[in-house]
Amino acid sequence: MIGNNDLIMRKMSCAVFLLLMNLLFCSCVSHLQEAKLYYTQGQELSRVYSTERAIASYKKSLEEVEIEIARNPSAQAYMIKGMVEVNLKMWQKAEKSFLSAFSLGFPEGQEWAEQVSLFGLASSLEEMGLEESAFKVYSYLVSKSKLKPVTLLAAQRYTDIALRDLPQEGEKERQRSLEKLLKSIEKLSVNDLSCGYYHYLQSQVLSHKAEYGQSFEEAVMAKELGLPTEEIMRDNDLQIVFCFKNLKQNLEGQKWEKFYSMYLDWTQKWMWPDPETPDWKKR
Amino acid sequence: MEKKSFEQVIEDGVRLLERYIPQTYLYFPLLSSAIVWAIRRRKEWEEKIFAWEVWIEPESVKEKPSGFVVSFFKNHPALSWTFAKELDKNDIASLRDAFRCLYPVVGLEEPFLSALFQAEVKSEDYRKIVRDFEARVRRAKRDMDAVKGHSGLLRDLKVFAEEMVSFGKDYLLEKDVQKAVAEILKKKSDNDRK
Repeated sequence: MIGNNDLIMRKMSCAVFLLLMNLLFCSCVSHLQEAKLYYTQGQELSRVYSTERAIASYKKSLEEVEIEIARNPSAQAYMIKGMVEVNLKMWQKAEKSFLSAFSLGFPEGQEWAEQVSLFGLASSLEEMGLEESAFKVYSYLVSKSKLKPVTLLAAQRYTDIALRDLPQEGEKERQRSLEKLLKSIEKLSVNDLSCGYYHYLQSQVLSHKAEYGQSFEEAVMAKELGLPTEEIMRDNDLQIVFCFKNLKQNLEGQKWEKFYSMYLDWTQKWMWPDPETPDWKKR
Repeated sequence: MEKKSFEQVIEDGVRLLERYIPQTYLYFPLLSSAIVWAIRRRKEWEEKIFAWEVWIEPESVKEKPSGFVVSFFKNHPALSWTFAKELDKNDIASLRDAFRCLYPVVGLEEPFLSALFQAEVKSEDYRKIVRDFEARVRRAKRDMDAVKGHSGLLRDLKVFAEEMVSFGKDYLLEKDVQKAVAEILKKKSDNDRK
């Protein structure tokens, strides 16, 4: 009987121990999940122009991830910390966090730290009006960065500055600049073929080159692969319609018929009410 | 529990905003944006929270070719009429200035901005949008930033949006929902004035 009681007590202790371990484990997981949740909320708040509220969410995310790091320092937690700090423009801290992620076995950490540091520098240069110097750093990051968020942001800023500063006179010069820009983005796309955003950028540049057939193809790839925000997705849809209208004017005979039939297949797949109206457009 | 009606959900949404935001002009943009995100980006919201990767989002390309800008004005009947003078003169610089304000509202139909300029869009007063754009957007940003210390705002907006989504995606055509929200807000404002 005593033996039985002892067995029951042992089983209960074991159950309590397992329950405590489970709770401890859950609380560790939840801080990381909370950090991710606040990070995502920060992104959503940015979209309603609530900058300060977005920053508050990022700061909350930072608090959570710091608790996580104090209890259970891991490469993943430091990586999230670095990402939050990138959003808070705390470039030097982000650099440190990525280095810590590296020391804990996240192999890309060291390289990311360098790239974040450079991106921070370029953003500061741009804010201070030193656009030419910023452009050089963005250009370097576009060709060298291995950290996807930095590459994406650098590619967008590089493309926008390059398009804004296109030579106003001399068509040859203008085309040469566009060709150079296109090649840089093509390289990114070749290394990361499934990234819809790079196809979107190519489509935009090709549109400046008045190459509407290719621009259309890249925009379709971008749409099919997915785009990071609703705004970009809508902009890409309007690019598709713009290309369609230009091709309608420029293509003739069988070429037009072939394109039109293919175009209708796509728009039916996307459930557009008609060839020139994306599904989200108010009618 | 009895399911709330479409109107009840919107009225609850308005009530929850009253707790956080005194500026009533922000209710329509906020509620319509919440619904649009819930309808179109729900899956991504969930995926983002549970995914290991959390990427910073880049922006859209702002610099468009002149052909794109001209086509934007020419293909919209009211815009082509309003900006006929600039189009006739091929005044790209003026068209670009107007495009910067009108493309997000009329082209991309960005839910917050198109709701913010709903009256002008309805009356097709596009020059007023261009005139007021900077000041009104700046004011909205400032007022939104001022809503401090209300950690429940986003959570409550999410609850509101999810209740709306529960009516079914087919039922929720963006334009119909926005119209319903606008009507209920107008009714409420008329009642408050009485």
